[in-house]
Parts: sequence; C-alpha cells; structure tokens
Amino acid sequence: MARKRKKVSRRMLFTWFTLTGCIFLFAPQNLTSKFQLAFVHVFRWPLTIGGNLVMTAQTQQPLAGAVSRSETQYLNYIANLEETLAQERKKFKKLYELYNTHVWEGTDYALADVITATVDGSGNELTIDCRKTTGMAKGQFVLGDESIIGMISDVFPQISKATVDLVTDPKSRMPVKIAEFKSIMKGSGNNSAKIEMVKNKVEVGENVFALKKPGFLDAPMVVGKVSECNRNQKNPSLWDITVVPACNIEQLEDVAVIIMNPQK
Amino acid sequence: MRWFRFALLILAVTVLQKGLLARWSSKPDLLVILLVFFAIYNNTSDAIISSFTIGFAADLVGSPMPMGPQMISFGLFGTLLAYLHRVIAIKRMPYQALAIFVTSILTGFLTHLLAYITKGEPVAANIYAVVFLTSLYSSIVGPFLFLPSAWWMRIKINRFGRR
Repeated sequence: MARKRKKVSRRMLFTWFTLTGCIFLFAPQNLTSKFQLAFVHVFRWPLTIGGNLVMTAQTQQPLAGAVSRSETQYLNYIANLEETLAQERKKFKKLYELYNTHVWEGTDYALADVITATVDGSGNELTIDCRKTTGMAKGQFVLGDESIIGMISDVFPQISKATVDLVTDPKSRMPVKIAEFKSIMKGSGNNSAKIEMVKNKVEVGENVFALKKPGFLDAPMVVGKVSECNRNQKNPSLWDITVVPACNIEQLEDVAVIIMNPQK
Repeated sequence: MRWFRFALLILAVTVLQKGLLARWSSKPDLLVILLVFFAIYNNTSDAIISSFTIGFAADLVGSPMPMGPQMISFGLFGTLLAYLHRVIAIKRMPYQALAIFVTSILTGFLTHLLAYITKGEPVAANIYAVVFLTSLYSSIVGPFLFLPSAWWMRIKINRFGRR
C-alpha cells in the first residue's frame, strides 16, 4: 500500500521548532539540566578521553627508550600496577589529610573524578562523577588541590553525576575574607574573580579565604590569591581586586566534595 | 539529506566540542560551523530542521547555560542564512568565512541575551571578547572543515562554479 507523504510547510516547521525551543527555555532549569547531565553520563567515556588528551597535550612527556614487545608488555604491566598503587596511596593520603584536620571532625568527603571542565569566558563549570552521592546537596563546597574551587550546583544521584559552579563563573557569589576585611567575591568568567569597592589596598599574592558557612563550611579555607589590585574607575579612593584560583582548575582530574554532618 | 549520517556527524562534533575543546579558553565553535554548512548546502526545509537540531545539540553541551537559548538562536539565524543563500550564493571560502563569523557573533549574542532575559543568567564581563574570539577562530577554521563535512554527507560542493 502506497503511503502518502505528508508535506509540512517551512513556516510550520519553523514555528514548531521555535515552540520546542521556547518550552526548553521556560521549563525549570533543574529539569532541563538533567538532560545536560544525562548527555554527559551517556558519553562519559569519549568525553573523558577528550579531556585527558588535552591534559596530555598540555603536559611535557619524557621520551621512552626503545624496548622489545614482550618487555614493553611486562613494563606496562608493572607500570599499571605501580600507577594503581600510587593512585590508591594518593587517594588514601588525601582522605587521611582531610579527615585529620581537627576543625573538620565529623565531616565526610566524597571524592569525584572530573569528566568535563568548561572554562571558557562565558561559563565555568565542572561535571563530576561521584562514586558516593549520599548526603550530597546543592550548595556544598568543592575542594581541588586543598582549596575551594566552587560549589555543587546540581546533583543527579541516579547516574552519580553532579555539576560544580566554579568560583570564577559569572553566577558565583562567595563571601570571602582577605587580609582583615570581609567582602563578596564575584566570578568574572575569564578564570578569575573580582572583589570590588574595597577600602584598603591589598598586596598581590595575598591569600583569599572563603568564609565559614554554617552547615556547609566549618572553617575558612583558601579559595584564591590576589593577582591585581587597581583603583576603582568610578571612585578612585576605592580598590578593585582581581583574584585567581589557588589551583589550576583546567588541570584538575579529581575533586572532593565537603559533606558536613553526614548521615550515618 | 542523509539524516543518519547527519545524526552521527552532529553527535561526534558535539562530543568533540564538550570533551576535547571545553578545556581551552579560546576555541572555535564547531557547531556554528556545521550550522552554516547545512544552511548553505541544503534546501531550505532541511536547513531549518538541521539548524534547530544543531541548536539543541549546542544546548545539551552548553551547560552551565540553561537549555533553549541556543536552539532558538541557532534555528533563527540558520533559517535566515538559508533564505539569504537563495538570494546571495555563499560559495567562495572568504564569503563562507564571513558568513560563519557573522552567524557566530549573532547567535552568541542572542544566546546570552535570551539567557539573561528569561533566566536572569549573569553575563560575564568579557563576553564581547569571548564571542568575538570564538567567531574569529570559527571563521578561520570553518571553511576548511566544509570539505570533510561534505564528503561525509555525500554533498557535492563547487566553490568556484556558478549556481
């Protein structure tokens, strides 16, 4: 039986697709962000490989000597074992250090691997793969190389994924302490953050600390360093401070989520 | 239009954009390049469908941006470009580069504007520089990516002949 092909006009096509776009646009963001996380979950393998390739390209590799195939196989096997042992030791050391800081008694940490890191000027975000999502919630602080790098913006426990809004993201607002005064640090997008309208000049290289936040952070922790301190353009008696993250976020492979008062 | 090949191409490019290119601060937008490619080398109906589909793919990997703005802006400017191509042929490489540059700038600004208006997304201070640099890189790389894309889609492109 011959099927009659229904022809849809271009105008109708355009209208229907625009409507679909509007539905996505006006739907709650916590719902639509699940689509984005699901995509990362489904394609986590090629995405991780892509990220690793970039990190490898950015790191100088030592030259390896030429050896026979069986020897290479054996050496690779040993190297893999050593690497696994080193990774486990690193993980243990990291957790040991975190758990043995007295102010963090009773705090739990969820180690997570970084799947994708978006660090362009318009948005700064990590998608992380957590083995343990129990107790994880929006607003929890995330550590990278022992410094605060951002906060959890969304958790998808069904697929063990979460997104992290970095401190450099334009959406980020974080109460901080620098020298002896407190202020709000705003992300500016280009791998830096700003503290505006400060009364006193601050030395370049000074540490910036995230302030305590009950239920999320029990003690101030380093978040970045001052990279510039310039006079405010509108009010020259005040200063604008540029802060860069305390670690190289682009090179992060794993992070730790601080879970205060974990459920036992 | 070979839709299966189209789906595979978009998927590959989307994964490449999110995985390999996401860690670079300045990079070309491969999806915009494909948007211009399909708007130029397809009939208008197929160009409309492909523009919105590419926009949807860009939204999927556009996090932390909300979903929707890229689908609308890609769809709108892809459709406009397809109609424009019926009047002005965009066949030579410099014109293609110019088309990619302009489309990238327009989609970039409309995306951020829509996100700002509807979701109150704060706009980065250096957004003009980011959009400009992305458009510039895309326009430089783009025309060279048209050949492999055309080969994959089995589309014959004639850069020097008449329409």
